Amino acid sequence: MTAQAGSAAACGLVACGDCALVSRPASAAAAGHCPRCGAALAWRQPRSLQRTWALLVAAAVLYVPANVLPVLVTDTLVSSQSDTIMSGVVLLYTTGSWPLALIVLVASVMIPLGKLAALAYVLVTVQRGSAANARERTRLTRTVEFIGRWSMLDVFVDTFVVALVQLSPLMSVAPGPGVVWFMAVVVLTMLAARSFDPRLIWDAAAAREDRDGRPR
Amino acid sequence: MAAPADDAALPQATVEPARRARLSPVWIVPLVAAVVALGIFAERVLSEGPAVTIVFQSAEGIEAGKTFVKYKDVNIGQVTAVRLTEDFGRVEVTARIAKSAAGLMVEDAKFWVVRPRISLSGVSGLSTLLSGDYIGFDAGASTKRQKTFTGLEVPPIIDGGPGRRFVLHAPDLGSLGIGSPVYFRRLPVGQVVAIDLAADGKSVAITVFVNAPYDRYVTAGTRFWNASGFDVSLTANGIDVRTQSLVALLEGGLAFETPAFAPAAVPAAANAPFRLFADRASALKPDDTIATRYVLYFAESLRGLSVGAPVTFFGVGVGEVVAIGLTLDERTLNARPRVEIVVYPQRMISALPAAQEKLADTMVGNRELRHAIMRRMVADRGLRAQLMTGSLITGQLYVALGYFPDAKPVRFDPGADPPELPVVPSPFPALEAKLSSIVAKLDRVPLDAIGAELKLALATLDQTLKDVGRMAVSVETQAVPALRSALDDAKGALAATERVMGSAENNLVGASAPGQIELRHALQELARAARALRVLADYLERHPESLLRGKTPEAAPK
Repeated sequence: MTAQAGSAAACGLVACGDCALVSRPASAAAAGHCPRCGAALAWRQPRSLQRTWALLVAAAVLYVPANVLPVLVTDTLVSSQSDTIMSGVVLLYTTGSWPLALIVLVASVMIPLGKLAALAYVLVTVQRGSAANARERTRLTRTVEFIGRWSMLDVFVDTFVVALVQLSPLMSVAPGPGVVWFMAVVVLTMLAARSFDPRLIWDAAAAREDRDGRPR
Repeated sequence: MAAPADDAALPQATVEPARRARLSPVWIVPLVAAVVALGIFAERVLSEGPAVTIVFQSAEGIEAGKTFVKYKDVNIGQVTAVRLTEDFGRVEVTARIAKSAAGLMVEDAKFWVVRPRISLSGVSGLSTLLSGDYIGFDAGASTKRQKTFTGLEVPPIIDGGPGRRFVLHAPDLGSLGIGSPVYFRRLPVGQVVAIDLAADGKSVAITVFVNAPYDRYVTAGTRFWNASGFDVSLTANGIDVRTQSLVALLEGGLAFETPAFAPAAVPAAANAPFRLFADRASALKPDDTIATRYVLYFAESLRGLSVGAPVTFFGVGVGEVVAIGLTLDERTLNARPRVEIVVYPQRMISALPAAQEKLADTMVGNRELRHAIMRRMVADRGLRAQLMTGSLITGQLYVALGYFPDAKPVRFDPGADPPELPVVPSPFPALEAKLSSIVAKLDRVPLDAIGAELKLALATLDQTLKDVGRMAVSVETQAVPALRSALDDAKGALAATERVMGSAENNLVGASAPGQIELRHALQELARAARALRVLADYLERHPESLLRGKTPEAAPK
């Protein structure tokens, strides 16, 4: 399928985002509600780009405290140690468990960063009206959305450790403030991925084709 | 948007004039995020205290990121870097100090490394055994901020609360050390906090800290003495062993007390100097402000007499021996032993009843009067000095003053310096003389004549023995049969005894003897107990956490 095949919007119709029923819009200005499932209809998600950008920027900003602040505070009888995500990775690596270090590095550092970068790339290309790699970019947004639900690995581990290691006088583990910001980063990225309407990629590609006058 | 293609019945949407794109309210989210992040950043920056550099001789026990700086056991900072100084001679430790403690980083603040210290009197820094050493800190009085400090190699004196310090001067340290306890009536009330050698190297200054409220018992007249370890003194009074407590016995310690004769009890000022006496006796001796020297010329050996030996007057200690030597008579070229003694009249006064004390006081205050009294005592009453044995075991001698009315009258010359006090021979040489006279008498016994008589007696004895021999033969023939029957009887008795013994053996040591059985049972019990203990030890070794969390059922040994 190519962008040339035309979209529902191009035919003056609107597709329901929930039940996918294609209907005629209530008016040219307001699409109205879906006659089947009652969901609010819109040709495209309203202000999708702006919302995605806003959430993405928020996630990027919070990514800094998530990585700078400690996520785990270990109190033993005599000392107290705070670990950030990176220091945990380094600790795991230096103590010899490099597979674990790799998992944490990938799940907690590379994937969030990758998601931020991927979304930013897609948003920039849509705004620039790029028609290139439209299919790949769509797949990228799908992947980002899919992977979002697995990004809480760090938080899970933190929670388990905190719950399990409570030998109160000898050793106790408490979550650090970093984990809250890490969670915020994950949630905001997921929301950003959701609020992005992948159809915009094809709209942009179609607009480019119309302007250039040659099919791709 | 294009209009629907065919359905004309639908109303036509109106076209609004294009408005400027409104900013979505969603932008509040990144705004809040930015504010939060900035807030965290600002909080970090603002709460960050100064970084200080401390120079130490060595970084033993200091680790970057692990070693804390503590003031009154509160963490006020953490070591962030340890590196060598530029000349590689020392170690530079950089520590990040908490913002709240930044005001403490002044010119005369002190840093030192705290390491565990375990002594008999207490354990300090035990937590450093587990957590590693930490850097101790003590605030200074200055207000001038500073960033670079030189660490102390020896922990400074930290007053552990209210109380006062006093400086004791002693010829040597004895067995004292920092932390040695200070006792007051055997109650530990303080400790030695510092030890310094005097600038001239001739004495030791020991700084002690006496905790409040006990510090008010240290008055100007207080005497400190060394209560270290065993204080064994071999004196004419016998063997004297003194100790404060077991801790002081093992570790050394100090004690103080204010003697009864001390002036009005005004608490001593902080850092007041005191003399440290070697022992309790010398510490609590009254001040002998008035001392009269006398010289004694004896005609006997001074072996056993030592400097410091007591001088007694009817058994009451009134002075001591200060010098022992010889004297050479210029006319006769005869050498004689010479003993110089010091008599403290005040000690005599303190032995007097209170009613007479005042009278005596006026007497001793006047030197002329004193000598007049002495002359009277020597001339009229026969006051003499005599060497006495304090203890037959140790052979220690002392000088006893006493009245010998029968002694040859001697003139006492108070003008000489020191005046000579007449002596009488000690009773021991007299005993010796008696013994030798006995020996002389023995000498005169006619041993030769006795020998000849003895010989004659022996010859007679020989004859007698021969007679006895003959008698023995007759005894053999007549008495032996009777003796044999007696022996047979004895044999019977022995057999009976043996039987008794046999049964006793069964009862006591036989395999089934009751005593044996009980012993065996006891041993079996013991073995079972040992096994149980071993199982427990094994379990604990495998599950040390059970000490804290109890025995988990599934982990229990079968």
